[in-house]
Amino acid sequence: MFTRRNLIRLLLLVACALLALGYVPEAWRPQSVLLPSLSPLLNLGGAAARHAAGAGVLLALPLLILPLFKGRAFCWRLCPMGFAAESVSRLNRRNAGLVRKVPFIGKGLALVMLGSAAAGYPVLLWTDPLCLFNGFFAAWRAPLAWASGATALGFVLILLTSLLAPNLWCHRLCPLGGLEEWLTQLGNRFRPARTPARPDAGIAGNVKVGRRVFLGFAAGGAAGLAYGKLKPGSARAAAFIRPPGAADQAFNALCSRCGNCMTACPYDLIVPDLGASGIDGLFTPVLKFRNQNSAQEQFCFQDCTACTHVCPSHALRPLKVAEKQQTAIGLARIDKKACIAWEKGEYCVVCQEFCPYQAIIESDHKKVKCPTVDEDKCRGCGACESQCPAQPIAIVVAGRNPQPRLAHPSPALLKE
Amino acid sequence: MSSVQRRSFLKTTASVAAVSALPAARLDAQEAAPAATVVVVHGKDIPKMLAAGIAKLGGWEAFIKPGNKVVLKPNVAWNSQPEQGGNTHPDLIKACVLAAEAQGAAAINIPENTCHPEKATFKASGVEEALKGTKARLYRPAKEDYQKVEIPRGKIVKSADVPKDVLACDCLINMPVAKSHSATTLTLSMKNWMGSVSNETRRSWHRDGLHQCIADFSTFIKPKLIIIDATRIMLTKGPQGPGDMAVPNELILSTDPVAADAYAATLFKKEPFDIGYIKIAQEMGVGCGDLKRIKIERVEV
Repeated sequence: MFTRRNLIRLLLLVACALLALGYVPEAWRPQSVLLPSLSPLLNLGGAAARHAAGAGVLLALPLLILPLFKGRAFCWRLCPMGFAAESVSRLNRRNAGLVRKVPFIGKGLALVMLGSAAAGYPVLLWTDPLCLFNGFFAAWRAPLAWASGATALGFVLILLTSLLAPNLWCHRLCPLGGLEEWLTQLGNRFRPARTPARPDAGIAGNVKVGRRVFLGFAAGGAAGLAYGKLKPGSARAAAFIRPPGAADQAFNALCSRCGNCMTACPYDLIVPDLGASGIDGLFTPVLKFRNQNSAQEQFCFQDCTACTHVCPSHALRPLKVAEKQQTAIGLARIDKKACIAWEKGEYCVVCQEFCPYQAIIESDHKKVKCPTVDEDKCRGCGACESQCPAQPIAIVVAGRNPQPRLAHPSPALLKE
Repeated sequence: MSSVQRRSFLKTTASVAAVSALPAARLDAQEAAPAATVVVVHGKDIPKMLAAGIAKLGGWEAFIKPGNKVVLKPNVAWNSQPEQGGNTHPDLIKACVLAAEAQGAAAINIPENTCHPEKATFKASGVEEALKGTKARLYRPAKEDYQKVEIPRGKIVKSADVPKDVLACDCLINMPVAKSHSATTLTLSMKNWMGSVSNETRRSWHRDGLHQCIADFSTFIKPKLIIIDATRIMLTKGPQGPGDMAVPNELILSTDPVAADAYAATLFKKEPFDIGYIKIAQEMGVGCGDLKRIKIERVEV
């Protein structure tokens, strides 16, 4: 068991787990995007659906090219999820025959995922093994442990299938494995001499394979379109706040629930949603500002873009600081009845003091300055909500989905 | 009328006259002798300005003895750059730290409850860089770094969470930056303590009557020296800014926080007693905010 090959796999697994957990030097933290970005399903699928391709899409190339020449070498030699599943499979040697009876569901899944992504509404992105692996470890770092535990479930389920039949996941269920299998077959077509003849290697076989691929894509496309048209639930756009850079459309579909953004947030503001964004938005990231007596920031700091750079499926677009400061993730609202200035006539306007965007206008009332929100300037960062001394809190941010780009320049940027 | 009676009558009259004359005499004396001294140093070289100001107040040995634990309370609350005037100038903080080191201070602590994430704030303010190579420790107090203390003379504030280092030090120097403030019109030296106490404490001050709370706390906290950074001042959009700026090129030094604040207010063309906490602090006997009774010594560097 402890061969050199397995040692490399083990080291890789540990490294990926540490990255996903965020237990690495701070400068390396953004690299948590690397592992899930390797999956063409997440990376290219997300980019296709969002029409947003950065240099990050190049990370998907190795897993598109490698199988053409080396078959499923990634699955058997590198994949940390595969290694975990295989290790558990060693506990159970029974039911090996079952694997042969089960159809290769993963091959169909891969086609459906890519087809629906091409149609603009990717489905089942969250079944990607690299995202499930990542989500398991990220769950330990997310602020709401019990809810984020759901993202950890996929990893556990995969290990359970390994107890059902050895390597059932890798051989039959994994969509990334399925994609690798398709590409292996494609590679074999160009090198028929090096691989043993297969029953479907002839022309008739090629037609059959081609038809299957077409049908898979078409089914995915249809599912994607249907999903786009018949989106379940009718989530109130103001009820939840997305991290900055969130896709305007199909966010719930684009998000792979890998948990990277939740781990990346230095202020632990991003938590899994429990239904505010709709039933299809379960466990997608939402921001929760806090108003506690802790010496830690509890609002979306204007100079921070950490979460936007770790999303493998482009559900969150990478933002520069200037872009982030132009993006309104929400809008603050004042409850005058609870406000210390409006209601009690006391000197306060802590909201104005802390607002990085100078979005609190003052007006005189009861001889003290009273706050009003300037809707053209408010970015919904939550600085006001996190600092409001009133009990109950008198200023609360509501989400803005889609997130508007504000024309008003950010004063925080004027200094540059 | 017997001689005895006459004598006693004269005595009584004389003493009554003397007693009734006393307050007038005391008042005259007050008019003559100022209740507080404020040293105002004008110039461009901050370390030299500081040295000149301190020399006027009797030199550093009047404040820091060898082996003293020194605590500085600058304003390093905001993620903004030195020229924006949101924070105390890093050169001023550095000059103080170097002086304390030269005096043989055993420890120099700078606890600061920042408003923005401390990492970004300490960097953007230039203070982290300025303190490199010195033994000063700049940090944001965690919950366990605070201690609850009684404020016996407080009218509203009966207790407050104060950093343990502040409570345990031998020499406490308050060194705020003067700037506009959304809630209190101006933030000067007494207001600067809100950047020292815990979030819980400062939030309660906002709820309970800000000016009175600031004055209450000033009856408790006793800095040995106040140095107000008015090298450049934010006239609007304070405390965070960016806002309109003015450049008085002044350092204001005093041992009386109320007097220092009263003079600093004039740089913003404000009447000191229009700032609630200055007025209340004088009434509570913290110091003298009456410009007529403050001796202003000007030094040019």
